[in-house]
Amino acid sequence: MSFHSLPALAAALLIATLASLAPAQAVSEPRRPNIVMIVADDLGFSDVGMFGGEIRTPNIDALARSGVRCTNFYTGPSCSPSRSMMLAGTDSHVAGLGNMDEWLAPNQRGVPGYEGVLNQQVVSFVNLLRDGGYHTYMAGKWHLGKQPDQIPRARGFERDFSLLDGAASYFDLTGLGASSPRSIFTEDGKYIDRLPDDYYATKTYTDKMIGFIESNREDGKPFFAYVAHQAPHDPYHLPNDWLRKYEGKYDIGWDALRQQRFERMKELGILGADANLAERLWYVPTWSDLAPVARATVGRKMELYAGLVENLDHHVGRLVDYLKRIGEYDNTLFVFFADNGAEGTDLGQMIAGTPGTRDYLFYVVNWSQTHPNAWGRTHSYVSYGPGWAQVSMTPFRQHKGWLAEGGIHCPLVVSGAGVKRAAGSIEDGLMHVMDIAPTLLEVAGVELPATYQDRPVQRMQGKSWAPMLAGQTESTRGEQDWLGWELWGSRAIRQGNWKLLWQPKPMGEASWALYDLAKDPAERHDVAAREPERVQRMLALWDEYAKTNNVILPSRTPFETLEDQLPPRVPVDEGYPPLKFKKPFVPPTPAPEGKAGER
Amino acid sequence: MSARRIHRSGLLRGVSLAAGLVALSTAAKAQGDGARAYWKSLAGASAVTFWSIDASGNTNPLDEAQVVDPNADFDAHVALLGYHRTMDLLGRSATASFLLPVGNLEGEISGVPISQEASSSGFGDPMLQLNLNLVGAPAMNDLPSVLRYEPKFTLDLLASFALPVGEYDDSSSLNLGQNRWYGRFGTPMMWTFGPWVPGQRTTFEFLPALWWFGDNDDYQSGQTLETDPIFGMEAHLTRDLTETAWCSLDSVWFSGGESEINGVGGEEIDNVGVGLSFGYQINDNLSINTSYFSTIDDSGSGDLRGDEFRLMFTYGWHPLLQGMKRLSGE
Repeated sequence: MSFHSLPALAAALLIATLASLAPAQAVSEPRRPNIVMIVADDLGFSDVGMFGGEIRTPNIDALARSGVRCTNFYTGPSCSPSRSMMLAGTDSHVAGLGNMDEWLAPNQRGVPGYEGVLNQQVVSFVNLLRDGGYHTYMAGKWHLGKQPDQIPRARGFERDFSLLDGAASYFDLTGLGASSPRSIFTEDGKYIDRLPDDYYATKTYTDKMIGFIESNREDGKPFFAYVAHQAPHDPYHLPNDWLRKYEGKYDIGWDALRQQRFERMKELGILGADANLAERLWYVPTWSDLAPVARATVGRKMELYAGLVENLDHHVGRLVDYLKRIGEYDNTLFVFFADNGAEGTDLGQMIAGTPGTRDYLFYVVNWSQTHPNAWGRTHSYVSYGPGWAQVSMTPFRQHKGWLAEGGIHCPLVVSGAGVKRAAGSIEDGLMHVMDIAPTLLEVAGVELPATYQDRPVQRMQGKSWAPMLAGQTESTRGEQDWLGWELWGSRAIRQGNWKLLWQPKPMGEASWALYDLAKDPAERHDVAAREPERVQRMLALWDEYAKTNNVILPSRTPFETLEDQLPPRVPVDEGYPPLKFKKPFVPPTPAPEGKAGER
Repeated sequence: MSARRIHRSGLLRGVSLAAGLVALSTAAKAQGDGARAYWKSLAGASAVTFWSIDASGNTNPLDEAQVVDPNADFDAHVALLGYHRTMDLLGRSATASFLLPVGNLEGEISGVPISQEASSSGFGDPMLQLNLNLVGAPAMNDLPSVLRYEPKFTLDLLASFALPVGEYDDSSSLNLGQNRWYGRFGTPMMWTFGPWVPGQRTTFEFLPALWWFGDNDDYQSGQTLETDPIFGMEAHLTRDLTETAWCSLDSVWFSGGESEINGVGGEEIDNVGVGLSFGYQINDNLSINTSYFSTIDDSGSGDLRGDEFRLMFTYGWHPLLQGMKRLSGE
């Protein structure tokens, strides 16, 4: 053989090798990705590290570093409406959560779309995933119905360990009020009345999910894992080892911390360089006006919240580590988000704040551990209030329950299999929790059928992120696409960078306001008077939204007496009045003798 | 949340925490200092204590040397007054105390052919005492540090020193004053179980201490009384019953302390007592506790035999607490 023939021989060998591999590749289909969807309940927009928070969240941050942080992601202003939209891919007024079950108004009773549960007019995308060959698992909070045909098993989850209520103790079955004195759980579709001996919500949900995945690992089917954490929803309950992790950390107060986060968010690119910061709610005192013991007391609540968030991150890390250990991490798409804005209302007080009521008595018996050293432990009920909620929602205005950005603008991280965007990149296109269902169906290669179990399937209103995640498009929505919201009488439309907002007094003006969120994410400047034509166009969108989704404005709301409860609304001007805030006068030090008058 | 509500919340929290300052160091007694005697509180707090003690037995209940007279049958009705002050000493929680016994002692010494009666009344030997925390309790100089105080284990250094200026009659076998210097060094310790939350606190408290005694050169008409050091241990298992009430199982043990009179030796003591205590916080300033002690294994002729019932009132205050109470109209 001459040396001249060597290249030809090499080429022949290569062709032969490729030819021998070809049949094997032809018979194995590309493996569909696993999907892990993690929901943090009431987590604030700026709480995790990669969104500007000082709370230690290394595991969520790692997902963000390898994936995409979405900075214009919207949810509903409250828990169950958001979750219904997530599972159904439609507006909550279609999916059965036109109002929360707990606050259904008299004029909404019996109206389709206001069942207070995920209704049968919509199909849960989880049903479709299961039918499409996925294992479907859920661990955590459900809050979308308790009847047998409403529980996770009925809505597509093959295995589950689910808290059916909206909130509860993290340690045991203690419920929140007299109307739900014991938490209701299901496990694999069966109602249970006993929790594991070492039950701690965040830990147990993670344990269960790992167990579910492990139990079917060998069959090679992809899985959808929905971990609906209770954390950091109030009451703040932490394991003993986590109670003191942030002690003294929040002595700096909400004003300074909000400013720190604001700056950090700009450094990270979460906010634009010219973004503004919302004014402090007028009924929240200036931190410097508080006495040291009040700061320590109120700060303790944020310490617990931060510990709860870090603990959540710890368990997210356990799940990720498990997937790495079993070799599934690289083929898993992770979706991490919060279900609504941070909670600024003390739910415990709202339920039980009236002495003499049965809820008050329930609270007395079950939730009356009020000593600060009892906080975070069983039978204590702590939530951190509007001052810290505004920190969590930096730079936004207001908090959960409201349609200002602080109620609906949430953190979202998408990472892992199928994400082709640059690692650690930021996506600022308009996204919505309704998009999750069509996105995950597309990722899983499952079509939305026209009918499901002989019922017509509602068109999904969400838009798939798959093209955006694959780098095929820049954003999921264009300038003319719009989103709508309504809850408890508040209503909003967002189109492009513009937001039209109506809120009752005192949080709003009971009139339509217009904000340019590109320049004014903090919603400080109502420009409705300057843009009357835009207002009219967006009002038409509101009408369309209300009509399409059968929005019925409620005759009663949880905030109907708020104006009487809160102090009169006044502007918040830092440092006013000087009487309270100016620094004490210190007389000038006398010049040394003989130096007076010298220059 | 309104500003007013936050202020009010902080104010009330401060008040309820400062209430802990009434748990101050108590007096040294042969039957022990008692449960919860070395709990820590806000620096700068003051308290006065008033003990009412009814004791009986075969030893002078005010004599820390616990010299037993097998034929004696003493009764004591004594009050013990104290002033205590918490402070920051070297960055640690510390309490200085001044204690003064006052009252009346009566006794009868059985003899053949006659029995003797003795009595003493007036002031006893005042005692100065300093307790300094070494481990687990930095000084609490402000309400936030009280708020954050949640001890797991504390170790203190305790020094007590009695001044021999109390009522003393060398012809009497029963005196309020001891006519000699004496004192002790101890290391109070406390372990806590569970959360440091009123209504849930459980502690095990342990106090090993060494008592030392100078000589009494005028003991019963010019004799000399010498006493070797006594090693004592005191243990309490305490538990909150409610936010304001607690109870304790108590025990004491004393060993050593052989006394010699004019060089003639006696016996070493080996005394064990057990008791029960009950405490109640009446309000933010005032607490009361009561306890009963009795010796056990005391059937031998030379064994210390006695029992004691005591009632203690503690009134504590702190300028910050008092100011907050004035503002809140209490």
